[in-house]
Amino acid sequence: MARMKFLCDAERCIECNACVTACKNANDVPWGVNRRRVVTINDGSPGERSMSVACMHCSDAPCAAVCPVDCFYTTDDGVVLHDKDTCIGCGYCFYACPFGAPQFPTAGAFGSRGKMDKCTFCNGGPEADNSSQEYEKYGSNRLSEGKLPLCAEMCATKALLAGDGDVVSDVYRERVTWRGVTGQAWGWGIAYPQSGSRTRSGRTGDGQE
Amino acid sequence: MPVSTDSARYTAWLERRCAVLLQLTLGMVLLACFSTLSFAAEENDLAGKVKDPGTQLWNEVRQREGVLQGTTQVAGMDSAVLINVDGERWRQFRMQQLIPAAGLALGGILALIALFHLIKRGVPVAGGPSGKYLHRFPDIDRILHWSVATIFIFLAITGLILLGGRLLLIPVVGDSVFGALASASKEGHNLFGPLFILGIFGLFIRFISKNFLASGDIGWLLKGGGFFAGKHPTAGFFNMGEKIWFWAVIVIGLVISATGLILEFPFFGQTRSIMALSLVLHGVGAVLLIGGAFGHIYVGTAGMKGSLDSMTTGYVDLNWARQHHDRWAAECEANDEVLSQSEVARAQGRSTLGEVPEPVIKGES
Repeated sequence: MARMKFLCDAERCIECNACVTACKNANDVPWGVNRRRVVTINDGSPGERSMSVACMHCSDAPCAAVCPVDCFYTTDDGVVLHDKDTCIGCGYCFYACPFGAPQFPTAGAFGSRGKMDKCTFCNGGPEADNSSQEYEKYGSNRLSEGKLPLCAEMCATKALLAGDGDVVSDVYRERVTWRGVTGQAWGWGIAYPQSGSRTRSGRTGDGQE
Repeated sequence: MPVSTDSARYTAWLERRCAVLLQLTLGMVLLACFSTLSFAAEENDLAGKVKDPGTQLWNEVRQREGVLQGTTQVAGMDSAVLINVDGERWRQFRMQQLIPAAGLALGGILALIALFHLIKRGVPVAGGPSGKYLHRFPDIDRILHWSVATIFIFLAITGLILLGGRLLLIPVVGDSVFGALASASKEGHNLFGPLFILGIFGLFIRFISKNFLASGDIGWLLKGGGFFAGKHPTAGFFNMGEKIWFWAVIVIGLVISATGLILEFPFFGQTRSIMALSLVLHGVGAVLLIGGAFGHIYVGTAGMKGSLDSMTTGYVDLNWARQHHDRWAAECEANDEVLSQSEVARAQGRSTLGEVPEPVIKGES
């Protein structure tokens, strides 16, 4: 049985935000809600890295643990989904989630929250697959058609990977192995401190020191 | 002699070989020691200077060396933070500590009250009803009290549904019924919550003057309010137990109000950490107040016979006042504020035996 996972390769992400746009387009996400976002760290300085983040479909999902109405469930593919008919919009999942995945449309007076909305791994919700009700509430259900999430499928640099965790980690492991000399391999900076290892402030050394 | 020559050559060869071996071994040991030392020194030099970039990036993302804000094109609360480190902490507190502790505390208090009542069967009024009355709470105080009580009980029930309903109610009523109930609870809690704040201020204004520490209060506390010993300790208008309850309602009530406002209006830029902390304070405070309210309700009704009258009619029996609030009773008697049954009836606007109610009542101020 597949265990669906996202992986964002920070060495490849170029912060083009195409995944964000693709997600909004594929799922008709309501205004003010972004299921996916790209965060850039050390923006503008050497060593800058970007990562695309959405629901990571945790095995032991904190959102599901704290939900007062128990509206979350995990599919056979390891995708964490929720039932908007049961959700009461309390916001607890947003406080508990490490990744800031749960989003809330503003529903009524005094900024009260509507039903929570989050990345479904393009796998819809509890309604019948690809029904109009499902699309209205949760967006597309690409997984049921044998397709992977559109964000990862459209990623130009193949930084964002989605799919069976085994396959995704094999792809990433191979990349790390072949990347080697550019100082991104684990422990490179310790082994060759004079040879261009990248630190917080950017490249040091470059063999010149 | 070839043999001896051979033997001598062999011995010499062996000696040389041994010396070489010894030298080699010694050299290797020395080299090993030296290289270990130099390696250790080199490692010390490198420590803290060269970090593995992958590990360092991950440490930054995990906020192990302080709060890290990235940048993002997506608007929204905390959207530039990759990992919210307080979320898991809050989850563990809520699921592993708050919910079990709340269940134990509230269940334990209820069990203790039940046990206490089984043994004591409620404290009767000493000397029975006297037929004479003292005016204890005017209309405004009683209206205020019951308004706050109604709101409090509603908020407590809806709050407890959100806190423990998943554990206790879903197995009983099912997912869909509980979903509707929880949704109504959340909306009702948010709607009536702000009224509780007004109630807290009302209670504060109306009752603060009678709730400062007075002489005899510590003695009352040390004797446990006379709950367990036979003799009732001396008390004024409010005894120390009531004063503690008053200040608990005010202080904890303000904490609950402030955190409730932070949670109810999530658009003033409050972060997830602040909201999780608010939920912790809100929950702990609410459980404390609900536990206190259990005791307050018991003592005000079945626990102390005659107590409830003060909040229903506003009048208490003179003997009840002498028993529980002896200094206040003595004060009233000295000021000639003791009322007869017909005076009370007239004050309440009820005519007795065809008498015309009089508008001005003695003892009413």
